[in-house]
Amino acid sequence: MKMKFRIILAILFVGLAFAGCKKDYPVDEDGLLITTRQECYVSSFELVGTDFVSVRTKTAVIDTTALTIKVEVLFGTDLKNLYPQFSLATDCKLDPKITGKTDFSDLPNPRKWTVVSGDRKIRKTYSVIVTVQP
Amino acid sequence: MFRKIFIPALIACTAFLFLFSACKKDPYALPVAKDVLQNDVIKRNMGPNVTGTAIEFAYAMALPHTKGKLVSAEVEASIAGGAGTYMDNNSYYTANGADVPVKVGDPSVTSGTKTTVTFTVDTPAATLRYFYIVPAAAKGQSVSFTFTANASDGETVSYKMGPFAISKMDMVRNITVKDGGAMFLSIADSTVYTTANLGANAAKVDLVYLYRTPANKTFAHALVAPAADTQYLPGVVLPAGVNKNTKILKVFNLQDHQLAPTLQPGIYVDDPDFQKLDMTAAPNFAINVKAEAGVWVETADGKWRAYIFINSIDNANKSAVISMKRYPVQ
Repeated sequence: MKMKFRIILAILFVGLAFAGCKKDYPVDEDGLLITTRQECYVSSFELVGTDFVSVRTKTAVIDTTALTIKVEVLFGTDLKNLYPQFSLATDCKLDPKITGKTDFSDLPNPRKWTVVSGDRKIRKTYSVIVTVQP
Repeated sequence: MFRKIFIPALIACTAFLFLFSACKKDPYALPVAKDVLQNDVIKRNMGPNVTGTAIEFAYAMALPHTKGKLVSAEVEASIAGGAGTYMDNNSYYTANGADVPVKVGDPSVTSGTKTTVTFTVDTPAATLRYFYIVPAAAKGQSVSFTFTANASDGETVSYKMGPFAISKMDMVRNITVKDGGAMFLSIADSTVYTTANLGANAAKVDLVYLYRTPANKTFAHALVAPAADTQYLPGVVLPAGVNKNTKILKVFNLQDHQLAPTLQPGIYVDDPDFQKLDMTAAPNFAINVKAEAGVWVETADGKWRAYIFINSIDNANKSAVISMKRYPVQ
């Protein structure tokens, strides 16, 4: 009777050990999970000034086929010190990383950011086209 | 058999012993006061010590009533305080949330660095408030205080406080600026000029205040450098000599408690904030400034940095009320 109990316990223990060894998703160089998702797009875009108040006149227009983000900013916005905020699809990341104040003053040459999908295989480069309210 | 019972029984007995000794309560004993004159001081104000503001203390002194009464209280500051430095001759108690004063002495006498209050009532214990107005001469230095109490039985006791650093900043509060009136701000002079009284001070004007409501644009209240692009100074005729290129950076949610005492407590703009300020890429205009927002300013010659807080705006009268803290950059 005691022997049966001990055998069952041993089998359960071995089963638990194997379950613990199951591999998780791999992690990329930024410490983010590499999943199986393939969605790769920008869902919303915000632009704030040094006082962290939005400088957009209306919602940014995001075209996921033409890969453009068109945003109109208020008259008198200081274009050299802006903070862009991207909302991406699940598991995506942005390249290059946004570290602080960004200069958008070069209006004829829009700044570009690349969205990388969750499985890190799909890359789409978006241009942020800024226009100032006349 | 005996061993089997004995050890658990021993453990149980020891456990009961611990239990009973832990449950014993000491009867409460009234604390016995020391048989001497004692004193204590606490500093009551917060934030940087800016010229013109008060450093506030509460000085408590007491001796056993059988030994005598208080005769006088005195404070000596290492740097003589500015006009208005005094020690309150009232003791206070709180009733319904308000402080109620009880007169315990003659009004304080300040001579040089010493402020003295002489007691006129028989009391063995009192707490007096001391207000030290920071003098302009103390900017950038440290100030220390020595509080002394004298009792009728000849005892004297002292308490030292400090050193406290005095800020290099200056402060002006509640300046009204008006579009078409007092609209030329000078940081070096800490004042605002009109076209009429500008005179020889034209070269000192750092900022122009204006209020505009153009169609399809949000302009509203603005602080603009004289040298900014004319699209940010619509309809403004700059007097001759007003041409500085000041750097301005908009900021929100920085409600300095000394510039706006009725708003957020505990937030202060201090010397290190000005020392670490980075205005290299700042523009020379700030339009659509909102009430309770602020702007960081750096003058064209780099001599002054300032934080201007917009206390309130008045669209109907095209004016605003502003307060400023300025810092001399070395």
